[in-house]
Amino acid sequence: MHIPDGFLGPAVWATLDLVSVPAVGLLARKAQRDLEDRKIPLLGVMGAFVFAAQMINFPVGPGTTGHLVGGTLLAVTLGPAAAAVVMTAILAIQAFVFQDGGIVVLGANVFNMAIASVLAGYLPYRLWAGSGWRSAAIFAGGVLSVLTSACLALAQLLISGVPMPRRLMLVSLGLFLVSGLIEGAVTLAAVRAIERLNPVWIRSPKDSGSRVLGAVAIAAVTLVAGGVLIASAAPDGIWSLVGKLGLTAQTAPWLHAPLADYQVNGLESAWLRKATAGLFGLVLVYVACFLTGKFIARQRSI
Amino acid sequence: MHHVVVERWSRRSSPLHARDARAKLGALLAFLVAISTTPPQAARAFVAYSALLAVAIVSARLPFQGLLGRAALVLPLSATFAAVTWWSGDPARAIALAVKSFISGLAALLLVATTPLTQLLNALESLGVPRPLILVVQFLYRYLFVISEQAQHMRLAARCRQGLGLDRRSRFYAAAGALGVLFARSWERADGIYRAMLARGFSGRFSPLAPARFGARDFAFLCAAVAASTAIRLAL
Repeated sequence: MHIPDGFLGPAVWATLDLVSVPAVGLLARKAQRDLEDRKIPLLGVMGAFVFAAQMINFPVGPGTTGHLVGGTLLAVTLGPAAAAVVMTAILAIQAFVFQDGGIVVLGANVFNMAIASVLAGYLPYRLWAGSGWRSAAIFAGGVLSVLTSACLALAQLLISGVPMPRRLMLVSLGLFLVSGLIEGAVTLAAVRAIERLNPVWIRSPKDSGSRVLGAVAIAAVTLVAGGVLIASAAPDGIWSLVGKLGLTAQTAPWLHAPLADYQVNGLESAWLRKATAGLFGLVLVYVACFLTGKFIARQRSI
Repeated sequence: MHHVVVERWSRRSSPLHARDARAKLGALLAFLVAISTTPPQAARAFVAYSALLAVAIVSARLPFQGLLGRAALVLPLSATFAAVTWWSGDPARAIALAVKSFISGLAALLLVATTPLTQLLNALESLGVPRPLILVVQFLYRYLFVISEQAQHMRLAARCRQGLGLDRRSRFYAAAGALGVLFARSWERADGIYRAMLARGFSGRFSPLAPARFGARDFAFLCAAVAASTAIRLAL
């Protein structure tokens, strides 16, 4: 989902711009190191390919069709850093030329759809590519990439104060899940078709970790994406849970100290308090993604 | 769809077309930040923003209706969210949501409708966006229509060949095959492009025919735009 201008609170988009700019810079440098100069036209043309691929409709249900979103497919063919750069370029063209997504919120869209989504989509493949679960990894990557970007976008809207009734939330989560499953199936089918034409186009990671590690990592990504959403939708929920468990007396003081009731003290308006507290959560997600990226980068470097 | 209409608009001439892309980018950012930080209740501020934008559109000599129609592409999404907001009992916020997204989209559209994309990207590069990213965006835009048309031809060809007999499962795999072929053709095209670039001695940099110059008029335009946006934001 491309967030237009005017939807996010200033604190939300400003922080995400500040986060995305250095992240994209780092990824661009890493992509350049990985791929040499030769590949710059390749990245551009692959971006055009992802645009064009949206015209190819996949029949998925009675009367409904889906199409490729592309983050995971790019990550398994070009590598995660290059895929993030290509997705950023796509989002920039969509925002500037096709009025799809805003300009000041470009950082937020880049964070959701080019950074977090690509890394989440690549993670299962990184961990399972060498094992017998390769196809499952590609499928799971497609599902995770769509779910991550959708949950982050929804969380940012909630933090910015766009109200979202519970029932509508559930409906949209259901839709995200369905489109995630479609993306997983389409990505897997596309990877298989590409492999049949020329197996060299699909990069395989140098070595793969254990299945357990993979499962834990994927569970962590899912929990973080879902957790951000839940935390931004119902900050009171966590406190009621703490109360129910009878932990309030012991844990409250130190839990309250940095983020009193999810609201940093000493700030003036309500939205600012809400946004700052929510942003703290997003920064945590960013750190998690950054560390994941670092981990992947270290594993990939020869 | 050989070219988007915005690109044709961006090649016209007007006082706004003549301004340096960096000045227009700065003005757009100031305007968008002002809108974004305006509280939903400040109805007069939104009227003033619209008036400011109208002045810019008139000085750009662009078709008013065409611009509004294109900017309205954002409305289905923002109207949905506005409806939900209204429904949960916050009409002021709902209206602000729709108005903010529409005005912001219109302002961004005005920038790309008065600035050729190459100039815009050169401006972004001179403002510090990493060059590899700029190059990727350039290539993406150059080949976007080429590859899209290839996809359209493939779709048409598939429709001609396929008839109606296929079940959903086969159609799914046929689509995957088409995607694979499109991928292969794009990859090979990229290889060809690179070899052609080497043959012509590409240095890794597109050099513009007329180097951008940031003159006194551009500076005045930037100051005026920033001052007007700030004044509306603070006074109304």
